[in-house]
Formats: sequence, structure tokens, C-alpha cells
Amino acid sequence: MFDRIWCMIVKEFLQLRRDKYARFRLLVPPIIQMLVYGYAATFDVNRVQIAVMDFDHSQESRDLLSRFTFTGRFEVAKVLSNEQELKSLIGRSDVPMALKIEPGFAELLRKGQTAHLQVIVDGTNSNTALIAVGYVNQIADQFSQDYATYRLEQMMPALAAVVPQISLEQRPWYNPDLNSQWFFVPGVIGSITLMMVVTLTAFAIVREREIGTLEQVMVTPIRPLEFILGKTIPFFVVGLADVILVAVVGTLWFQVPFRGNVLVLLLGVVLFLLSTLNVGLLISTLSSTQQQAFVLGFFFLNPAFTLSGFAFPITSMPKAMRMITYVDPLRYFLVILRGTFLKGVGLDILWPQMLALALLTSVLMLISVARFHKSID
Amino acid sequence: MNDAPSIVVDKLVKRFGAFTAVNQVSFQIRSGEIFGLLGPNGSGKSTTIRMLCGLLTPSSGSATVVGLDVARQAEEVRQHIGYMSQKFSLYNDLTAIENLQFFGGLYGVKGRALDERIAWAIKMSGLAGSEQLLTGELSGGWKQRLALGCAVLHRPQVLFLDEATAGVDPLSRRQFWELIHEMSREGVTILVTTHYMDEAEYCNRLALIDQGLIVEMGTPTKIKQTAIKGDLLLVECSPLGGGLAAVKQAPGVLEASVFGAALHVVVSTGRQPLTELPAFLAAHDVRVGRIELISPSLEDAFVSLTGSRALGSESYQ
Amino acid sequence: MNLRRTVAMSRKEFTQVRRDPYSLVVVLFLPLVQILLLGYGARLDANHIPVYVLDQEGSQDSQALLKAFQASPYFDVIKAVDNYHALVRAIDADQCKLGIVIPWNFSERLDDAGRTSVQAIVDGTDDNSAQLAEGYAQAVVATYANNVQLDWFARHGLSQQVTIPLSVDYRTWFNEDLESKNFIIPGTVALVMALMGALLSSLTIAREWERGTMEQLIATPVTALEIMVGKLVPYLGIGLADAILCAVFAVGWFGVPFRGGLGAFFLATTLFLIVILGIGYMISVATKSQLGASQYALLVTLLPTSMLSGFAFPIDQMPAPIRAITYLVYSRYYVSALKRIFLSSAGISDLVPEVVAMIIYALVIGFFATRAFHKSLQ
Repeated sequence: MFDRIWCMIVKEFLQLRRDKYARFRLLVPPIIQMLVYGYAATFDVNRVQIAVMDFDHSQESRDLLSRFTFTGRFEVAKVLSNEQELKSLIGRSDVPMALKIEPGFAELLRKGQTAHLQVIVDGTNSNTALIAVGYVNQIADQFSQDYATYRLEQMMPALAAVVPQISLEQRPWYNPDLNSQWFFVPGVIGSITLMMVVTLTAFAIVREREIGTLEQVMVTPIRPLEFILGKTIPFFVVGLADVILVAVVGTLWFQVPFRGNVLVLLLGVVLFLLSTLNVGLLISTLSSTQQQAFVLGFFFLNPAFTLSGFAFPITSMPKAMRMITYVDPLRYFLVILRGTFLKGVGLDILWPQMLALALLTSVLMLISVARFHKSID
Repeated sequence: MNDAPSIVVDKLVKRFGAFTAVNQVSFQIRSGEIFGLLGPNGSGKSTTIRMLCGLLTPSSGSATVVGLDVARQAEEVRQHIGYMSQKFSLYNDLTAIENLQFFGGLYGVKGRALDERIAWAIKMSGLAGSEQLLTGELSGGWKQRLALGCAVLHRPQVLFLDEATAGVDPLSRRQFWELIHEMSREGVTILVTTHYMDEAEYCNRLALIDQGLIVEMGTPTKIKQTAIKGDLLLVECSPLGGGLAAVKQAPGVLEASVFGAALHVVVSTGRQPLTELPAFLAAHDVRVGRIELISPSLEDAFVSLTGSRALGSESYQ
Repeated sequence: MNLRRTVAMSRKEFTQVRRDPYSLVVVLFLPLVQILLLGYGARLDANHIPVYVLDQEGSQDSQALLKAFQASPYFDVIKAVDNYHALVRAIDADQCKLGIVIPWNFSERLDDAGRTSVQAIVDGTDDNSAQLAEGYAQAVVATYANNVQLDWFARHGLSQQVTIPLSVDYRTWFNEDLESKNFIIPGTVALVMALMGALLSSLTIAREWERGTMEQLIATPVTALEIMVGKLVPYLGIGLADAILCAVFAVGWFGVPFRGGLGAFFLATTLFLIVILGIGYMISVATKSQLGASQYALLVTLLPTSMLSGFAFPIDQMPAPIRAITYLVYSRYYVSALKRIFLSSAGISDLVPEVVAMIIYALVIGFFATRAFHKSLQ
């Protein structure tokens, strides 16, 4: 039995080596994806370009506005002098946000009344806008607190010391600088492996069916299971090599930390690879041509990728979509990846994901092996 | 040749849903025999072979190959058989040697024995010196013989050839059949499916199959002799189509069909067709050119038995 | 260019598409699936953020603060734990994304020294959700703090201090509720057009080569330009129809506003389709196998359009070299135009830069596509 499996593995590697484009396809897309996701995919909110209109020109208004640039989150792109300029600027989505201070701002403050800061937000990129609004609120609250304390100190110094003030100290864990790259790069390991292993495996098996060698091989004493193993083991090795490549490049190039246990990650990698191999196998049993495999592969990989939690949080999805993600192996692997890279947690936390992957793999394997038997009949 | 039949097929049936592809097929083949399964596309010959190879499960009936049941002992059967189909399914991106090593490995042929068999296969396919060429770069004839080599590395007792010579030039086909005959002399049982009539002549025995049923079985000679119940005539006439319609109504004519540029007409024995037919046709405005008695070919026999036409001959429908 | 021959090509192409199951899937099934998938799945809003709380004091004040968190629509206060270790474990295990710790001397310090602080531990893995969560948490605490202050002032009889110095008035243009779907779904239309256009047109020439009909076509008097135009015009029509389908879905099903001009929508879509179809055509000419063509088509459209067009990730937040690259990404202009057409009331006159960019692109691609086809015939 092992002789025959070995025969198949040797043949597969011979073919891979001869395939001029294989080396290209196995190395270049992962690297490109990693670079693109590492650099282009970003939810950072830094240096948000704002336009300011200060009609008050007082010490207080300047103080307020300077706090914005001080945080580094905002950059004054333009100083406006009239409402018309504002309309066209925001209307053309040239700046995401504009700040406006009316005349009489400082006077209201000094009289102990409420002064207003007007913030005009361009909603077309609402995500950045929402986050930016959060920072605006923080700055405004701080300004309010400071000014109130200042007034109180002037009027009733004794009381100023005991006015209740509650502050919120926030500490982001695992990713203290809230660096988008730390979020995406470990994820890329999973997404690339998923796409590559599923398509490679599915195409390889369907190609044998298309050109007829599948039949020629099945007529030999080889058992279907031996054929499957012989076909999938090489892609397991290739997948593993790619994972290592992307992980190493990712951590070195993007300086993403790895805080967990390599063995735990390895277990996750193995389980994930097994599940993706089985998906590829299943697709191959449902297709008789490579073109069909391509279409089926696309219809699986597209939602598997979009709904996996790679970029969009699963908790924001409606219930029906969340249900679908339970059969997406990438979902579990992403938790394992982020858990070992960023969180540094071990098996005691990650065992549900490992178990889910193992279950998914087993079920997929049963279905695809059974279908494979039928498909050669 | 020993006496026990090498292949025994007993009322074999294969249904695909409502469609019956193979319908109660039975035959026996002795070892060393070259047995041909002749029929048009879709007649069930490929399905039959695939059942015998263990590639398909029979719906009912049974078959044994070298005494092993193809349905229940499929894996052991495969150790004793070789199979080659018209697609010569070899890996185009492997060299000839690599293909041979691969299939040899799958058949469990190792070490010294494998080297010997590979050397034999290279020589037999005429690829000496070209072993390192990629299989995809070889022309049809060489690939075909290489595929045969891959199929018999393990010296099987039975060889199944499913339209193995389709799409190959006649010279290569001739060389291929020489190899087949050599193997047959060594005692290998060979079951061939084909729709080439000339190849059918090479077989020891034939079974004519049409729409899943065996319509006739026997040696080529016997079939040609007994299939046609009457005298066979070649009639050149014009117009051809009109002549066909008219001659079918002539007295004594049992069958008529177009063969190439002429008609083949079966007339019941005891008549004078050489004089009767031209007169009858002339009366129907059909001019007759050449008319002569001919001996039936397998094609004629087949048409007569089934009323349908197999491809690969020079005739058209 | 002979019109009759071109029309004959178009008719043949259209019939082939109608009869090919793969093409039908791409034309009908794919757009809907893609819009539904991204419309529901691609949400960046943070709602129902799972929160664990550790109230080390358990006083009325601390309970009031916790109630404030519970009342917030953004947070789901799932569990109260009684020790720090349990909180740590919960964040490690993804059971909560935010942990609130109210210190044991919360109200005590408030009475004595006037200042106290509350701790929030945020799961920073997903920095987007983390930033949103931080913002919302900050708002909750600030509101609570202000109320506490006002109360205090009232109890000490200092009514003239009851105002908060600064109040922020927000005016949001175009996407009033700042829902992520409103800015992602218009971009989704671009993605669907790109995918669909490229997948369909990339097959057109490759299919003829594979089936052997190309040689016959070349033997006729039809010219390269007629072949290209004849083949692509049906896809343009199909693409426009699909664009309408997507827009109707976006508006009718997802409630995305459509405030701009229909003329602008059609112009932008037509120009974009010309670019996409041209690209797909070039791929088809270069790759003689249908499978290879589809794969390249996917690669060349999916990655740039989903990552570099401003569809989900804001271009202005990308590092400078990448921002420069996005000027070359054809879908960037279409995505920008779509967002402005859907959300603001942009008409053609407002979209001049995008339109000009796409026209340039269309001309360049058209030129290279015809040349590529000529070369492939030799």
C-alpha cells in the first residue's frame, strides 16, 4: 500500500517540478497578497485631513483647534474663510471632516455658558468617520473638563480640587499601537493557504479525470483511498511550505510578533491544511472539467474568505451569515492564528477551534471519500 | 492454452437509471484468444469492458476474470489484468521512462523485474534513445505502444483494449496488432472493442453488440457466411437515392443500403438478380451501371444483423 | 468598419452566451450572490460588542456606570465576573472584546479626592473594532461623568455651573447614520461589474481558439476591429443590465440611498465596462485556454478592485507609495464615482475628474487590445 502511495507522491512532485508556472504561482501570489494586505489594507485613522474655520480667533478657539493636531490623529489640510468653500470641499469629498467655530465662542465660555463646536462629517467613508468622531469626542470632552476645572479654579479654588472627574483609561491589549498590519498579516497566512490548497488539489484531481489518467490509474490495483492520499500528501507539503514562507516573511518584514507556542500553531496548521485538502477533494468529485472546478471553487472560496472574519468582524454580520461561518475552516484558523501570533494563548484557550477544525475535516473527508468512490463508478 | 475459460460473462446487465446500456450479455473467452466486441458507438461495448475491469459495478449478472469475480474481488482482478483505452491516458508531462516507472510501481513490479520490463517496453515501442522525451512530445503511434507497455508491465493474463487504436495512422495500427498477436501467442487473453471492421478480422472470435444486446457471436468467417440470408450484390446506379428507394420495392430484395458510391442489395437465393434488377430499376427511371455478386464483408453482416451502421468503414449513412 | 458583419458577430456572441450555462451563472447568479454576500457580510460597524465587567466595588455609583454601559446600543454586557483572572481569560478566549474594571475604591475616591478612573481593556487584535469600541466607551464614561458632575454641582447649590462648557454639534453629509453598508455597497457594484465583465470577456477569444472556430473566423473577410467590437458590444449591454440589477438591489433591498443622476450612473458604468471588457479581451487574446483566461481575469480584477480602489479600505490612510499606485487602478475612479452618485447628488458635471480618467483608460486599453489581437493572428 505504501509503495503505491509513494509512487503517486513521486509522480506528483515530478509533475510539479516540470510545471514552469507552478513555481511562479506558488511563490508570487502569496508574496503579492501579503504586501498588498500588509500595506493597503488598513483601518488606521491617522493624519485625518480636516478643514478648519475659526471665526472667533480667540485664545480658547485656538486652544481647542490645536488639540486636534496635537494628537497626531488629525492634520489641518485647509483653513477656510467662508461657508461656500466648505460646501464644495465636503461636497467633493476632498476632506472627510471640517471644524467650524462661530464668532462669540470664547465669550460664551467665559460667561459660563455652553459654546459649540460644529463638526461637518463626510459620510461617504463612514468607517473612518465613525472612528474619527470617537476621537473628536475625546478631544472635546477633555477640553470641556479642562475648561470647567479652569473656571472653577478661578472662582472657587477650594472646590476645584474636589469636583468629581471620572476618566477612562483604555489599554488595547495584544496590539497596543492598534496597527492594522498586525491584524491582517497573520490572517493572510490563512487566506492564502485556503485559496491555494483548495484550487491546487481540486484542479489536480479533475485534470486527471479530464485527460483520462484517472481511469488508467484506477484500473491498477491501487485503492481509491491510496489514490486520494497520493494526490493530497504532496499538496499538504506544498501548503505547509507556503505557510512557513508567509509566516516567516510576515513576521520579519512587518515585524508582527509571535507570542504563542509554535507547536500549537503547527497543530492548527495541520488541521487547517487537512480541512482545505478535503474541500479541494470534495470539489473535484463534483466537477468533471477544470472549468467547473474553477466555478465551484470560486463559489466556495468567495464567501469562505469574505465571511471568515479576515477583514470584517463576524459579530457585525446578521445571524444567518454568522451561522454560515460555522462551516468555514478559515474562521477557526484565523482565531488560532491571531491567538498564537498576537495573544500568545495556548491550547487551553484554543481547543474549541482545534476541535471544530477536526470535526469539519472528518465530516468533509467522509463525504468526499464516499463521493469519490461513486464518481469513479 | 489451458481449458478453463479465462473470462466468463453470464447475463451481465448495466442500467443507468432508466437506460439499459448492457442487456443480458453472456460469453466465454479462452485463454490466449483474441476476442473482439464489435459495435457502433453507444452499443455498450465500453460499458461491458469497464465492468470487467472493475471500473463499473454490474446491475445484475456476473462475470469472472481468471476465476475471480469482478464485482466482489475487483482489486485482485486488477492485479491480473491490463487495460488500455483510446485516450492512451499517460501523463504528458512525464517522460516515457517516468510513466513506465510510475505504472510499474502501481502494479507492484519492482527492482530487477521492473528494469527488465521497462527495457522491454522501450524496445517494443521503438523509443530506444527517446526515453527522456516528454510523453506529450511523442506522436500518436509511439504513445499508443508506450501505453500498451505501461498496461502490461506486470505480465497480466488478460488484456482489455477499449478502442485502443482509434485515431492512429494505419501503419501504426498494423504494428500495434503485431504486438497483440505476439502476446496472444504467449497465452495472454485479449478482449478488444472496436468499430474498425478491418481490425475485427484479426480476432479469433467476434461478438457483435448493438444497443446492449449481443446479436451474433462466432469467428469472422462464420459470421460473414451466416449473417446474410441470401445473395449480396453491388449495384452502381444513378440517381443513388432514388435507386435505393426503388430497389427496396423490387421483388426478392430482402435488404438494401448505401455503401460508398453504390448500393449493397441482398436478394433471396434462387433468383436472377443480375438480369431482373436492372430491368426493374430501368422501369423506375434508374440507370444501372455496374452490378455484380460480392461476398459479404463484416460490415454487411453487421448491417444485416442490426440494421444500423458502425463507423470506420468507407461507407456513409 | 462594416456594420453588418459587426452586428452578425454580436448576434452570434449573444446567442452563445445565452446558451452557455457558465455564462448565465456569471451574468445572473454571481452579481446577486456577490451583492448579498458583501451587503450583509462586509460590515465594519461595531454593534453588540461583547463586554465583560468587573465591579470591584459594587456600590450604587458603580452599578449606575455599569447600567450606562448596558444601555448603550453598541455594547452587550454579557457577564459580570468577580476576579481579574476571569476577565483576562475571557479576552484571551474571544468571549469579550472589552473588559471594564471598576476599582474597589471608585466612589470613595470620588468623594474624597474628586478624581477616579475606570479601566477598560480592549482587545486590540482587530484594530478597527478596537478603535470604534474605545470611542463608544469613552462616550459612555464621559456622559456618566458629566451627569455625576452636574449632580454634584446641584447638591452644592452651584447652579450657575450646570452647563457643560463645550458641546459638539455634528452634521453628517451623505450617510447620516454613518452605516458602513451605505459606503460599501456602492463599491460592491463596482466589484461585481469588474468580476463579471472580466470573467465573461476573458473567455470570448480563448473559447474560439479552443473550439477551433477561430481559424474559420479569420478566413472570412471580417476585420480585427469588427471582431472586437462585435464581440464586446453584447457584453456591454449585459453589463449595463446587470448594473441596473445591482443598483435596484442596493436601493430596494439594502436601502442604500440613490441621490445622484441616472445619466452619471450610466456614463460611469459604460466607461468602466469598456475598460474592463478591454482588459478581459486582452487576456483572452493572450491566453489560448479558457481556464487560464478565467484565472488571470480573476487575478487582475479581484485583487486591485477589492483592495486598492477605495472600496472598503480608505485610500487616504494607505502609505504614500501605495496611494500613488492607486492612481493606476482603474476601479478607483469608478468606485469614487459610484459613492458620490449614490450618496451625494452628483451629476456628470460633478464627476469630471473621474470621467476623464476613465475615458483615458478606455482609450488606452482599447488601443492595446486591438493591437494585441492583430499580433496574435500572426
